Amino acid sequence: MCLPTDEVPGEIARFRHAVRIAQQQIEEVRKRMRAALGEEQSYILEPHLLMLQDRSLGRQIEQFINDNRANAEWAVREVASRFISAYTQIADSYLRERSNDVEDVARRLISILSGTKVRDLNHLASDAIIVAEDLLPSVAAELDPKRILGFITTAGGSTSHTAIIARSLGIPAVVGVRELSGSIRSGETIIIDGSTGVVILRPSPETLLFYNEQRLREQEQKLHFLDERELPAVTSDGEVVALRANIELLEEIDAIHRSNAAGVGLYRSEYLYAQSAFGLPTEDDQYKVYRMLAEMSGEDGAVIRTFDLGGDKLHLSGFKAEPNPALGLRAIRLSMQIEEVFRTQLRAILRAAEHGRLKIVLPLITNLDELRTAKRIIAEVEREMRAKGIKHAEDIEIGVMVEVPSAVLQAEAIAREADFLSLGTNDLTQYMLAVDRTNESVSHLFDPLHPAVLRAIKFAADAARRARIAITVCGEMASNPVQVVVLLGLGLRDLSMTPNAIPAIKRVIRAIDLATAEKIAARALALTTPAEVNHYVREQVGAHWAHFLHTGLSHESMADLNFQR
Amino acid sequence: MIFCDVLCVRTVQQKTVIIRNRLGLHARAAARLVRLASGFESQIELSRTDARQSPVDAKSIFGVLLLAAAQHTEIEIRASGGDEVEAVAALAGLIDDRLGEA
Repeated sequence: MCLPTDEVPGEIARFRHAVRIAQQQIEEVRKRMRAALGEEQSYILEPHLLMLQDRSLGRQIEQFINDNRANAEWAVREVASRFISAYTQIADSYLRERSNDVEDVARRLISILSGTKVRDLNHLASDAIIVAEDLLPSVAAELDPKRILGFITTAGGSTSHTAIIARSLGIPAVVGVRELSGSIRSGETIIIDGSTGVVILRPSPETLLFYNEQRLREQEQKLHFLDERELPAVTSDGEVVALRANIELLEEIDAIHRSNAAGVGLYRSEYLYAQSAFGLPTEDDQYKVYRMLAEMSGEDGAVIRTFDLGGDKLHLSGFKAEPNPALGLRAIRLSMQIEEVFRTQLRAILRAAEHGRLKIVLPLITNLDELRTAKRIIAEVEREMRAKGIKHAEDIEIGVMVEVPSAVLQAEAIAREADFLSLGTNDLTQYMLAVDRTNESVSHLFDPLHPAVLRAIKFAADAARRARIAITVCGEMASNPVQVVVLLGLGLRDLSMTPNAIPAIKRVIRAIDLATAEKIAARALALTTPAEVNHYVREQVGAHWAHFLHTGLSHESMADLNFQR
Repeated sequence: MIFCDVLCVRTVQQKTVIIRNRLGLHARAAARLVRLASGFESQIELSRTDARQSPVDAKSIFGVLLLAAAQHTEIEIRASGGDEVEAVAALAGLIDDRLGEA
């Protein structure tokens, strides 16, 4: 295993050479990032560069080569592992994730040393979509947006930074699509929609056409959106609509300002868990994130959804797989089961709420007892904090996610005891129609414009109005132009969506008038089949506001929606 | 890190500052600090005044990140080696200036 002693100096020279090459490569990428994105984003690779220049890393690696007569690859791997394990001790989750940067640097050095050429992804045929298990941030940053149309990763890991880089480069990306890679063959046609996280395999010609047109349109629109940032979201007949941001990653908070969103309508707190390679985030980790959310979301505030773990979303270790996860131990049910985890999260939220307007929304409420129990726990947590003299917010608003049929039918009772409602239209559609939209044999049945779903939405909206509480739509319907028309017509005035969609939806709202939207919605409610509703709504929208209706994504082509994040 | 302030007739400059930017010494802020520190001749070390971490080399990104200094953490800067006065003033200035961030 050991090198002959006389080869040690050569090995050290080889290592130093690799460091120089790695520096050049990263400098090169950074230069390109800076040109494409400006100084702000190119910082992501700054730690990589500084790590390569860091004397302590170099010294330790050279010493390892010396002491163990090791080859450079082995030394890099060993020393990098030491650094990574030191980082995993850090309490702060954000800093802890810097271990990904160390890993990235180490892999780059090793691939230079071993001469395994990292395949230059930019030399793929143009118009390529990359499907990979994982893509390191520095590799993602090297992608040429002119040649690489998008990428999909099946694993997490360094996902969060990779996703941000993709977004900042304007490369559509969908990350963490677990069940995907086995079902794709090289050379197949695939569509990815980075704004909704939709991946479509083997699309029909019609779907392909639709998405191609949408891409062109988006390119054109991007040029205008900047000028429209300040314009209010108000219909042509004067109805004001609140457009809020759905946020998963803390790093996306900037997007609130970029899109001029009215605060955060949904913060999916379980991503704190997904991002962390180290299990559940601590109270302090959470506090920091929530506090930043509170401070950055301003007057409009932010709604934090308590952990929506379990089921099809994310798995906690220690819980066995369930035969029927969508109907199993998940969301609020799981939080009640592991109450200490729930209480930790509540403490973090209550402390952070001192610094801004935070609200809590509870996922998957199916009966009033769950709401009452959660409220009792929150009151207890407050009492404990008061007794201990811990600064926290009092009387935080507590809302309910309306996303299962039982919550809809009990919306009146719930609305009397909740401070606000949030309509999760994705889950609601799924549970109303008994369709798992990730199951391609039935996903064509998933349709938020199903008349039953529309009635459910109206029922909930009416209940909220009568109880004089707010109701926010935070599913994908809120970012679908055609469906937004129906939502407004049904009485919704508060929509939360991925920040990228806000400019386009604002345009839609400014283009339409409420009177017509109400007529369309009323008629749609009276129709009897999903196909009729889709056909009618599209036709009407086309007739009244042709300029924003895109060549329709017909009901049939929805069958192509195979995978959903 | 060893300072030779006994053997060599060198002065040690030091100052205590509080991390004020919201994200603390996270990647970008740490990188700024390391870049600035690397421009000085002096040896510069940083330590948390709550002694939760041994002093680190201000010119090492690994070290600075390991400090895990969140907002409101108190940091002592110590420098020695010729331009220590300038070094401490510059680093303290950068930190007081919220490391160029919000």
